Amino acid sequence: MFKTIVRKELLENLFSYRFPLFALICVVLIPLSLFINNAQYSKRLRDYSEQVRLSDEASSGLKMQDVMSGRVAMKGFRPPAPLSIFAQGFENALPRYYQFSQDGATTGESSSGDESLLSTQGKFDFIFLVQMVISLIGLLFASDAISGEKESGTLRAMLSNRLPRDSVLIGKLAGGAVSLWVPFLAAIVLGLLLLLVGSFPLFAGDNLGRIAVLTAFAGLFILIYFVIGMAISASTAKTRVSLISILLVWTGFQLVIPKLSDMTAALVHPIRTETQVALEKSLLANTIDTEAAKELGRQYDLIFAGAKPGTADDANSPERKKWDPLRDELQLQTREKKAQQMAAIDETYEQQRRRQHNLAVDLSLISPSAAFGRVVADVCGTGDLARTKYREAVRSHHKALDNELFSKVKRTIMMHPGGRTTMAISAQPVDPKKLPKFSIASASLGEAFKTNIRSLAALLFWLIVPFAAAYIRFRKYDVR
Amino acid sequence: MNLQTPLLKADDLSKRYEDGVLALDHLNLTVPAGEVYCLLGANGAGKTTTINLFLNFIPPTTGTCYIRGIDVTKDPLEAKKHVAFVSENVMLYGNFTARQNLEFFAKLGGKTALTKEACYQVMRRVSLQEKAFEQRVKTFSKGMRQKLGISIAIIKDAPAILLDEPTSGLDPKAAEEFLEILHELRGEGRAILMSTHDIFRAKEIGDRVGIMKEGRLVLERSRDELRTEDLVKIYIDYMKSEPLIA
Repeated sequence: MFKTIVRKELLENLFSYRFPLFALICVVLIPLSLFINNAQYSKRLRDYSEQVRLSDEASSGLKMQDVMSGRVAMKGFRPPAPLSIFAQGFENALPRYYQFSQDGATTGESSSGDESLLSTQGKFDFIFLVQMVISLIGLLFASDAISGEKESGTLRAMLSNRLPRDSVLIGKLAGGAVSLWVPFLAAIVLGLLLLLVGSFPLFAGDNLGRIAVLTAFAGLFILIYFVIGMAISASTAKTRVSLISILLVWTGFQLVIPKLSDMTAALVHPIRTETQVALEKSLLANTIDTEAAKELGRQYDLIFAGAKPGTADDANSPERKKWDPLRDELQLQTREKKAQQMAAIDETYEQQRRRQHNLAVDLSLISPSAAFGRVVADVCGTGDLARTKYREAVRSHHKALDNELFSKVKRTIMMHPGGRTTMAISAQPVDPKKLPKFSIASASLGEAFKTNIRSLAALLFWLIVPFAAAYIRFRKYDVR
Repeated sequence: MNLQTPLLKADDLSKRYEDGVLALDHLNLTVPAGEVYCLLGANGAGKTTTINLFLNFIPPTTGTCYIRGIDVTKDPLEAKKHVAFVSENVMLYGNFTARQNLEFFAKLGGKTALTKEACYQVMRRVSLQEKAFEQRVKTFSKGMRQKLGISIAIIKDAPAILLDEPTSGLDPKAAEEFLEILHELRGEGRAILMSTHDIFRAKEIGDRVGIMKEGRLVLERSRDELRTEDLVKIYIDYMKSEPLIA
């Protein structure tokens, strides 16, 4: 019985106008999006390689006096994520590079400045197609699954036989899912072939595995919308009502909830902007440096008061032997104090940001679309996880540079009690080749799943609950 | 099964809908093998409700339906094994051909190993034109759909057949052809319960005719009794009479 229903559903879909239309949309749009985004990725990769080369060249000729004068900017570039061709996520919104100095890391420009206004409404990528186009088609496929058969009377004809209702429901689900999956998978295969032609590193690293995972999630997502459509269809007597309900649900899930969740979280847990935080850190650094300069000036004047001229330049003089360790100790204390207070600001900001982000995630999980988007963006290396990894890499790289480079430059600023300010700069030699290279640890698939455990649970919820609803509704469905 | 057991039996059957309307009021009827029972009545008399109750599409408020002695409410799937159903507007898949529709519903009816020729034979038996066998049903006239509907009922090979106003909207020739098929099916020993508005055809085909009004079976006549009585007059008199429930 089950096979008979599945076969009937497949045939019915195959003969309907919807199937060729859906197949056409898939086969044209999915490969096209991959082709276009691969071209953009290749361009970003070329830009990245060129920028890294130039930066490496600048680093290899590094002179300490340039570092001392602040003329050399140490940059860390973010390589483009290959799978951004599937889900662009934060790819263009994140800074292309960070610039490192003794005072910290500042963000470079992002790629989003090159984009048109229309692209803010959603990037034309695989995920956009799945979320916005295929999900709607999935819902429409299911819109008349039950109510349509009731209207045409075929449901009565079917159920006048020895046919359990759950066989009808599961058969319809399986038939509908296969009708949606087959053209979808065919389009992906076609898209992958195009990528191979376009020299995309399909077999590099775990790219292929990740593509398989995101395809599986996309398949699950399509199924979720089909099941939601079935639940709606099983709750209405007329296809027209079912269609209107479906459009309302789709609008809520796709357009309203994901956007509203971010806005609500921002209202409930407001946080400062990154610029405000950077300004606060800069002011704090300034205050600490000024205090340190005043203390250094006071101590210097105390030690060198009444000394012969030139004593300060004589490293063997008793005053210098007293001054040098005291200066080093004060400077170390200043650096540690600054680092500690900066870290505290960063930590507080990170905690606030995380709280806001978690609330936004929790709220967005009302929509399966948001849950799907989060999981897949992380699988593609362009989601929240990639952003976190980038920030971690920046912090870690700054620390490494501080140890290997910035700490080798000693800039001693003294503000003497009389109002006079003096500055002395000294530097230890640094081998540019031994400077740490900027790199971002990529998140594994396991990490992506672990981070998105709530999103995965939400996807399961949206599969099981609508199916249960469809099942319960259909058992009592009035077929007359 | 006891040979005396009626294939279709309504035992004290009542149906009151949620809105309070009493659609069927203590109906008792039986249809044995080889008999055509025609239910006559105006719209809302309870004819279709009776058929819906036999198919377990709705639960009875009181009473029981039996198909081949099986309580429809208690074991609906087993009961439906023994009944075929043809409705007024035969419900078919418009994008499927006649044969595909026949095959699909035959499989639901338990006939899993059907050859193409077996399908053609059944369609020939109901006089469906050969060229229509592989045509999409959405191009079919009502008469053709009705023939295909009855061929689906035949291929299921069920001992009982429920017909809900099957001749409604058919032209006289198609209706005559339909009645001929019913004659054959009766001859094969099938029990047929047919709801209809068509007094003349009910008299022509029915071994027994029941008149329903406001959910009640107000009169039942056998073929022999109708030889001496004017069914048209009886029916019209009942329709004109005062409502049963004031």
